[in-house]
Amino acid sequence: MQIPVKAASITVALFLTALTFNTAVADGIVVSKIYDPYVQPLETEIEWRFVTQDSETVPDVQKHSLGIGRSLTDRWAVEFYAIATGQSGESLSIDAYELEAQWQLTEQGEYAIDWGLLFELEREIDANAWEFAATLLAARDFGRTTVTANLGLIYEGGERIENEFESILRMQMRYRMKETLEPSVEVHVGQDTTAIGPTIGGLMRVSNGRKLRWDVGLFAGITERSPDHILKANIEFEF
Amino acid sequence: MKQTIRMRKSRLSVIALLILLVAPSYAATPEFEIEIRNHLFLPDTLTIPAGVKVKLVIYNRDATPEEFESYELNREKVILGGRKAIVFIGPLAPGEYPFFGEFNPQTALGTILVVADANAAK
Repeated sequence: MQIPVKAASITVALFLTALTFNTAVADGIVVSKIYDPYVQPLETEIEWRFVTQDSETVPDVQKHSLGIGRSLTDRWAVEFYAIATGQSGESLSIDAYELEAQWQLTEQGEYAIDWGLLFELEREIDANAWEFAATLLAARDFGRTTVTANLGLIYEGGERIENEFESILRMQMRYRMKETLEPSVEVHVGQDTTAIGPTIGGLMRVSNGRKLRWDVGLFAGITERSPDHILKANIEFEF
Repeated sequence: MKQTIRMRKSRLSVIALLILLVAPSYAATPEFEIEIRNHLFLPDTLTIPAGVKVKLVIYNRDATPEEFESYELNREKVILGGRKAIVFIGPLAPGEYPFFGEFNPQTALGTILVVADANAAK
């Protein structure tokens, strides 16, 4: 199924126009997975994500996300996550749920940049808050190097938090050295966080049509308000 | 006031540039066809010209799905049984770029041969 180019252009333009309004940059744990803009039909995945960060004001925060996802068509995929966040030493329990839908807008390699959109709806139980995010996904190959960018517009509101629009930017420059080991550099920018650091990741083929993807990254906060150190890890089993 | 106008112009320029980046290219994209039949790619070697983007139309004649995959081409695409899929590759430097069917990797194997001589591409 081919998405009309005009519709894709209008979607991208509307999204970028929305971002030109004044928005705060996203708070909380900003470092996260960087999405590529592609969807594969018939794909199911189970995913675990982990982020821990350490700052002077809030030491040793950990976030675990366990997700299960499924593509609905060759353009749409959905995923559901249970999320547990807490400080090191605390017993963790699920404190949020998230539903996400990814939409592939253009065919890979058809245009100068490949485009997609990601919609996320998160319910934070303890904070009695809702968060909705729409994120523009973009990717482009430069030989064996792939640059991926995620630009997000977030609205959050609830009883104990201020209702506000926020924005995030995540970028990755990945060198496709070999399938099992790819180094990259990532930048994550949100409220109270501007972090940069190296990551490594790769893919292991378990059997026909079954793959295990993984990546690990270590980041340093480069502004005064940023966490000092951030560690992230993702594992995805696709089948 | 002048600064605000300048900022708006700058934002509009960025938006216009990004719209241009998703605009279609009207240059003719050479089109090549591959079939999947009995868990084999036919032809198993496809010769294409170097330095140009190419559109591969892959027909899956089998009843079961197959995934066209190539790390060298940075492409993976699932093609449902009895359906077709489009894969854009290139511009590529001359050389050999292997691909395989992820659901039947023992039999579904092929190579994209990229040649500098456009006339040799077929």
